[in-house]
Amino acid sequence: MSETRALVEIDSVSKRFTPSVSLGERVAAWLGSPIDTRTVHAVDAVSFDIRNGEVLGLVGESGCGKSTLGRVIAGIHPPSNGSAMIDGLAVMGSGSKPLKTTTRIQMVFQDPFASLDPRVRIGETISEGPLAHHLVSKVDARAYVTRWLLAVGLPAEAADRFPHQFSGGQRQRVAIARALAMQPDVLVCDEPVASLDVSIQAQIINLFLKLRRELGLTMLFISHDLGVVRHISDRVAIMYLGRIVELGPTPAIFANPRHPYTRALLDSVPKLVTGSDELVTFKPIQGELPSPLSPPSGCHFHLRCPFVQARCSTEPPQLDGRHHAVSCHFPLSDGE
Amino acid sequence: MSSRLLEVSGLTTRFETRSGALNAVEDVSFSVSEGEIVGLVGESGSGKSVTGFSILGLIDPPGRIVSGSVKLNGRELVGLSHADLRSVRGREIAMVFQDPSATLNPVLTIGTQMRLAIAAHESMSKAAATHRCIDVLTIVGIPDAARRIEAYPHQFSGGMRQRVAIAIALLNRPRLIICDEPTTALDVSIQAQILTEMKSLAARLGTAMIWISHDLATVSSVASRLLVMYAGRLIETGPIAAVLRQPHHPYTRGLLNSLPGFAKPGQDLVQIPGAMPSLVNLPVGCSFRPRCTHAQDDCTLLPAFATDGARAFRCHHPLDLPVPASEARP
Repeated sequence: MSETRALVEIDSVSKRFTPSVSLGERVAAWLGSPIDTRTVHAVDAVSFDIRNGEVLGLVGESGCGKSTLGRVIAGIHPPSNGSAMIDGLAVMGSGSKPLKTTTRIQMVFQDPFASLDPRVRIGETISEGPLAHHLVSKVDARAYVTRWLLAVGLPAEAADRFPHQFSGGQRQRVAIARALAMQPDVLVCDEPVASLDVSIQAQIINLFLKLRRELGLTMLFISHDLGVVRHISDRVAIMYLGRIVELGPTPAIFANPRHPYTRALLDSVPKLVTGSDELVTFKPIQGELPSPLSPPSGCHFHLRCPFVQARCSTEPPQLDGRHHAVSCHFPLSDGE
Repeated sequence: MSSRLLEVSGLTTRFETRSGALNAVEDVSFSVSEGEIVGLVGESGSGKSVTGFSILGLIDPPGRIVSGSVKLNGRELVGLSHADLRSVRGREIAMVFQDPSATLNPVLTIGTQMRLAIAAHESMSKAAATHRCIDVLTIVGIPDAARRIEAYPHQFSGGMRQRVAIAIALLNRPRLIICDEPTTALDVSIQAQILTEMKSLAARLGTAMIWISHDLATVSSVASRLLVMYAGRLIETGPIAAVLRQPHHPYTRGLLNSLPGFAKPGQDLVQIPGAMPSLVNLPVGCSFRPRCTHAQDDCTLLPAFATDGARAFRCHHPLDLPVPASEARP
């Protein structure tokens, strides 16, 4: 059962950000002035696996910690607690020195205007990593770059051009080629199509589907767009205020959401209305996302949850279930 | 049909750039009735925002409106003096922009900004103005408005800030609000709240809206009529459900097919090949021709805007016409 082997194991990963306190502030604090040293719990004890060859979608609203989690998995941030492992090796220890395994995970970022160096030719951008890690010799670098440019649907001549000579969609192709040239086992994509127009977005989604078929890529696909995630992912994890609230196979999550937040999120998505007498009604989630500086006690969603009960405000629920896991004391039943 | 509130005809807005003159908006004609919500959809560079700005005369050099007319209740807005335009903006036509943190002044309280917006058109006592501000903030769903009015923009969340921006647009009871991607920067759960609020506002106050967006699904949940733009031109218009159910223009069809919901999960999406052409160097004839799978020789001639009942499209080879237009309307 090679396809069900866990390639990436995330074991109770937490990431906290504490503002660094300057000397001046420390003196001020010593003199009695209040200083803000509150810690942001961006990711709170998250555990899951990504199987070999699987695409796992990670969905949540802004500030829920999905990008931070992606960066911890890619080895950009060290976790505060817990570990992210690839093939049994830690991507990054809790120290700050990244281990060699990080080259096995590559990342594609949201904004291809910000993630490509404007003064470096595309060919150099793509070959820099592979050269540094001796994946390719200097002599073969040119051919190597061409191979990856063609793989993402760009002409070989693109290697001599600069990022500003490309449109947003083409730049995102370059960013994908750069990540793939490192021959990673895992690709972490953080909102890779969010900044693209619909028609270009479809082209890039198709590119991901093609690369996945051809290279057997394992992907963590982070997005706020439920439609895109539904299309591309095998399983979906829903994140709310630093915690995974639901995780399961894509069809199950969309057909039978069991966490009230997942249900509310799905109800909030505008659907294409094509019946002339259809009345569009949303059931918007009440209230707003609480601040991650002071998350509500118990279940983080209890303040906005229509099914809240006394227990929810005191006792944080655990993510429970093997196939379709949900973190809720009173999960919605199937088909309800 | 209720009366025509806004009548745009033959609107062309040109920008002189270093690489040449380009028409960001070319020969755009449409109308908006009282209380109607019209969706204006297109990709980046299609001219949808410039259309909105042109209606309000918010085009600065090197751009200018070179031809066409914009009539509000029969009154021509193109060519009005700055002072006259200022009396229209905010009072008769208001605008809500995409990014509320960029449109609100960070160093003034919400109340001060709102009172300034009232003072621009009407003189009233501070107490009366404050009273109206609180009323409007309550309408857009800001809890505890009487206290929040003294807060600064940074003390509001993104969704609340957009509600404040909408409240400012409502202050002077405009007949028309132009909403330029008002929910694009917001999370889906907040977007759903704002969409619900805007729809009920339009229904309660009878305010007409032009809802500019790149997101067909969002537009389809608020608007009753759809305008689709491509490379500066309107290419298809009609009742929104009918257009989305059976688009006549291949570009509209392509946009719909590009949506992830239209293919089975995991299968390739039907993509439109290529990218939007540069406005400086548009293809001859139909601008969509190089990307169109239905293109034929005659597409090198610019198609006229053909109407078929409530629907209209700019295409020589429209898709899925029930009966040839010539036979249906002798």
